[in-house]
Amino acid sequence: MRYLTISLLFLGLSACSVLPTTKNLVGKISQETINNPYFSNKKIDYVYKAKINAGNNNFGGLLILKKIKDKHHRVVFTTEFGNKIFDFEFINTKFKVNYITNKLDKKFIINALKKDFQLLVNQYNISVLKFNAKKEFIYKTMLNNKNNYYVLSKENNTLIKIIMASKRKEKMTISFRDIENNLSKNIELKHHNFNMTIELNYIN
Amino acid sequence: MHKTVFFISALLILVSLKSVSQTVALSKQEALSVKESIIITSKKTTSIISKFVQSKHLSFLSKDIISKGNLVFKAPNLIKWEYNNPFKYSVIFKDNQLLINDDGIKSDIDLSANKAFKNLNNLIIKSVKGDMFDTEKFKIAYLKDAKNYLISFTSLDKSLKSFIHKFELTFDRKTFRVLKIKMMETTEDYTIITFSNQKINTSVSDAIFNN
Repeated sequence: MRYLTISLLFLGLSACSVLPTTKNLVGKISQETINNPYFSNKKIDYVYKAKINAGNNNFGGLLILKKIKDKHHRVVFTTEFGNKIFDFEFINTKFKVNYITNKLDKKFIINALKKDFQLLVNQYNISVLKFNAKKEFIYKTMLNNKNNYYVLSKENNTLIKIIMASKRKEKMTISFRDIENNLSKNIELKHHNFNMTIELNYIN
Repeated sequence: MHKTVFFISALLILVSLKSVSQTVALSKQEALSVKESIIITSKKTTSIISKFVQSKHLSFLSKDIISKGNLVFKAPNLIKWEYNNPFKYSVIFKDNQLLINDDGIKSDIDLSANKAFKNLNNLIIKSVKGDMFDTEKFKIAYLKDAKNYLISFTSLDKSLKSFIHKFELTFDRKTFRVLKIKMMETTEDYTIITFSNQKINTSVSDAIFNN
């Protein structure tokens, strides 16, 4: 009996997460569809002024996102002058590079960009665990072998954050702010394992 | 009678075809004289202050992305593009540098290390100076419509071609000044910059080109 208690205690401890987002919270098995509504309207051209800070470098441009049809998004980044920097397409689980400027045409850069923007536009996700925090519900989902945590505010049932993580470390946080009618007018993508932040402000 | 009917209908068809196609190619002589007039006008230009509207067309969007601002040029090679709507952003081409002010965040890019921007810089300065008739880098075509001259430049240079496939400049027939720039990345996606309220050869302080 004593051994059983100890083992149960261990089990309980191991189910407790070490990630800051779910620290001291116990996840319950939960299969729910989590909707990211921010790039879900086919009629809207989602155009954002982007400011990118990487290391000590600042550069900017326009990030243009468009839902072409269900499970199909186009993500294009241009300079303020209008020249394309990259042009990606996400179709179901497929990823297509329509264009990328020579300087960025490197596998690790394309992969990093792919991961970030796939997570940003991916609309439906099925949760595996649900955490009940004080002000938020946090849903753990899986995409490409990465754990993604969707943070929904309890107050208005709105998606406010997505956190991409490995088992032990949070890698990147997407914060949705200034939200109105399923449109987030200020979005921040912040990497935690290297120094890069992308700030997006809606202009269209 | 039949001949007359045939003649009139043929004429009507020709006229309607012409109004559909709108632009016609210039003769060799006409092209040469237009080119010379543009170069002469550009050489007399010491400064330009102009408003501009930029329209970015992407085939998959439901409408074009519009941004507006001011352009300041001072001979021989100072240029400032200042966007003020719907975002604040300015870029100064100065010496071998790009000076950027992105809504208060200032940075610079060394053009000698950045081929794409260097190409863009050269292209803009040469277009403003009327010095872009480089037949080694471009296949050049001279056209006109009812109001303007239209000169198109198709990139032959490989490094230029990778980011700009073709560009078209629209010149006023009377003043020989650039009214419009159309930059085509592909046949589907392009950017149009239209100039208005141009002030020519007014005094422009060098301080404008400090970041």
